[in-house]
Amino acid sequence: MSLLQVDKLGVTYPGQSQPALHQVSLSLARDELLVALGPSGCGKSTLLGVLAGFIAPSQGRVLFAGQPVTAPGVERAVVFQHDALLPWLNVHDNVAFGLRLQGADAAARERIVADTLRLVGLADVASKRTWQLSGGMRQRVGIARALASRSQVLLLDEPFGALDAFTREQMQQLLLRVWQQSQRGVFLITHDIEEALFLATELVLMSPGPGRIVQRLRPTFNQRYRAGEDVRAIKSDPAFIALRESLLHSLFRQGHEEAA
Amino acid sequence: MPTTPPALIAVPDTLDFGNPPAPSAPAGRRWQPQAAHWAALSIASLLLLWWALTASGLIAPLFLPPPQAVLARFGELLAGGYMDATLPQHLLASLQRMLLALLAAVVVGIPLGIVIGVFPLARHLLDPVIEFYRPLPPLAYLPLIVIWFGIGELSKVLLIFLAILAPVLIATAHGVTSVSQLRRQAALSLGASRWQLLRHVILPGALPEIITGVRIGLGAGWSTLVAAELIAATRGLGFMIQSAAQFLVTDVVVLGIIVIALVAFALELGLRQLQQRLTPWHGQHH
Repeated sequence: MSLLQVDKLGVTYPGQSQPALHQVSLSLARDELLVALGPSGCGKSTLLGVLAGFIAPSQGRVLFAGQPVTAPGVERAVVFQHDALLPWLNVHDNVAFGLRLQGADAAARERIVADTLRLVGLADVASKRTWQLSGGMRQRVGIARALASRSQVLLLDEPFGALDAFTREQMQQLLLRVWQQSQRGVFLITHDIEEALFLATELVLMSPGPGRIVQRLRPTFNQRYRAGEDVRAIKSDPAFIALRESLLHSLFRQGHEEAA
Repeated sequence: MPTTPPALIAVPDTLDFGNPPAPSAPAGRRWQPQAAHWAALSIASLLLLWWALTASGLIAPLFLPPPQAVLARFGELLAGGYMDATLPQHLLASLQRMLLALLAAVVVGIPLGIVIGVFPLARHLLDPVIEFYRPLPPLAYLPLIVIWFGIGELSKVLLIFLAILAPVLIATAHGVTSVSQLRRQAALSLGASRWQLLRHVILPGALPEIITGVRIGLGAGWSTLVAAELIAATRGLGFMIQSAAQFLVTDVVVLGIIVIALVAFALELGLRQLQQRLTPWHGQHH
């Protein structure tokens, strides 16, 4: 049963002749990790903005649990690349922020926040200010904040794009663990091919001019990682490398068509 | 005590390759001047220059009285007073006006700045009004204020209030509009209502700029103090300076200037402390 349903979505920004998104259809179920991969300008951020309710569709529709999405909502929590955390609150209070806004019962809130902090490995820094943390730790706070809220879907906007390669790989593994344990649907956008292949249960390759889906894949590397295989072994597997090169080739070919 | 035998080749204790000292070198062995030391040096130099210029007789006391004369005048004014009021009384009168005007500017300026920052219509309506009066010299509209509001305390406080208001308003409105879009969107997706967004995201986010606005406003307020106390005042530092100037009592003028500068600086330091306490994240990379 799909949580988020996108039907023939089109978005045209005012004053633009070419649509930012054209005829995009998707669905995201609770146990899925859907990744939209593409170069800048392919409309993936616009797509995330529509799913979050920040941008209104020009054509088509977006449904959450059968209801049209028209505004931001607690069931669809967003994590941005550059942390949108609140520096005047400590880590604990940032994570508790959503539940506090929603007026959740204090005891329940504390339990959820403590569980979430433990899940993402932040229990030891709960009383630190967010600006005292490294980039990777701040992204953990962002993910924890989205999890602790009553979200059913996480929308991640290039969440690891600003991190160094080592931290990024750690965070990818953390995300898989969180996704598996928290029973949420995850929609993630990225321009990193390896990240997309490693994380996705379903991958859509997007292309600019107009922004659209040009290829759909169902990679299995996520399952192999969860079955206990080592991340480096997976990422250096010939099957992984072959898919990576094939996707890279598609991206380059699109680039040439753009230039022509 | 045995002496060390002379070395055949003179080897310096340390070879200097022009490298900066290693970070592991014990800190504090070499005294490093701090910001406060440079500030003290700057003030001391000014005082010395002042003393040298007056002691050498190059400048007549009428134009620049020597520091010791100003100091003597200070002692005199503490007890005896000038123009029927002691220095503390003049200071208190001015401080009262300043603080009253500051309070009013904060109470009016911050909410109005928020409204301007949140509602574009309010900005379109109020921006011309603010930009119309803001660059005017207070002395230019002083006569109007006297005609409209008389020569009482109200006019004096009003003049200072207007000077403080503009920076507070502008800084607040700018602080509100420059709260990051991502932060707003993230809060909305966590379930924030419009009011919660304002209360929990926009206001704390704008706070560093609001305090900066108050700091700038207070400076502007001090700079209109003398103009405000032109209005039939009998007490106040600005009044004291003007009266002294009319009788060419230069040492009282200089004393008044120094007292205003010191008090203004002390308030500024207090506000900086407050800013650091309330918004420690300000200026951090986050």
